[in-house]
Amino acid sequence: MEEKVTKANPQNWVSLYATQLYQYALPRVDDSAIAEDLVQETFLSALKGLDGYKGEASEKNWLFTILKNKIIDFYRKKTREESIMNIPDLQSMESDWFDKDGNWAENKMPKDWQAADNPTERKEIQKLINWCKEHLKELQQHVFTLKYMEDMESDEICKVLNISTSNYWVLIHRARLKMRDCVEHYWLKN
Amino acid sequence: MKRFMMKYLMLNCKEATLLMAKKEEGKLSLGGRLQLSMHTSMCSFCRKFEKQTRQIAKESPHVHAEDSLSAAAQEKFLRLIDEHSTN
Repeated sequence: MEEKVTKANPQNWVSLYATQLYQYALPRVDDSAIAEDLVQETFLSALKGLDGYKGEASEKNWLFTILKNKIIDFYRKKTREESIMNIPDLQSMESDWFDKDGNWAENKMPKDWQAADNPTERKEIQKLINWCKEHLKELQQHVFTLKYMEDMESDEICKVLNISTSNYWVLIHRARLKMRDCVEHYWLKN
Repeated sequence: MKRFMMKYLMLNCKEATLLMAKKEEGKLSLGGRLQLSMHTSMCSFCRKFEKQTRQIAKESPHVHAEDSLSAAAQEKFLRLIDEHSTN
């Protein structure tokens, strides 16, 4: 009984997927050399796993799945190496964003912006997200990347980054406050 | 008593924005969700915050760089793939 399977074709990987994989990895690790390494490791892992590839997912999706795992591994190793680390002090946020009663500080109150609906506007917002994310503090940035760009759940993120749940909520709360504020600032300038 | 009830039931904006992050992940109790919707029904700033943050969440998975991969890297990958597929 023979099943028709799509065969992977490694000779075409570089021309078809290398740039796409790199452009995906780069904003998620913020370092071109690391992004290149991850793409390289992705190809090597894929070659090793070639026998297991049954053509169920498209070749492209299969490579992206491998790359996404490499990105998570990268964060796992990174936070192990950074010998934990600047857990933010949990009090400092109040004064930056909210007044003493916990209401919005005057200069941080969200303003109105028109929604980004068309492709050009959406692309513009995506660029702002990338730019603003680079200006988050390190752990906030890791949390933001894994949560929103990699669509991971908080439990998994805590394990990968080796942080407690309560630290996670502080970090993600702060990242959300900063990201919205930053995107708004540059979006309204345009 | 009434003031105590209000204080207990009403969130401030700092609490409300934190609960939104939990709600997004389905990690908010029914009580929390009620408190939150009571707050956002009265607070236009938090309504904006929620809407705009949702848009950021929606667009974030699509973020990608526009930088192209260097020719040197492409050649290196080609060589590697070649070496590793002919053994």
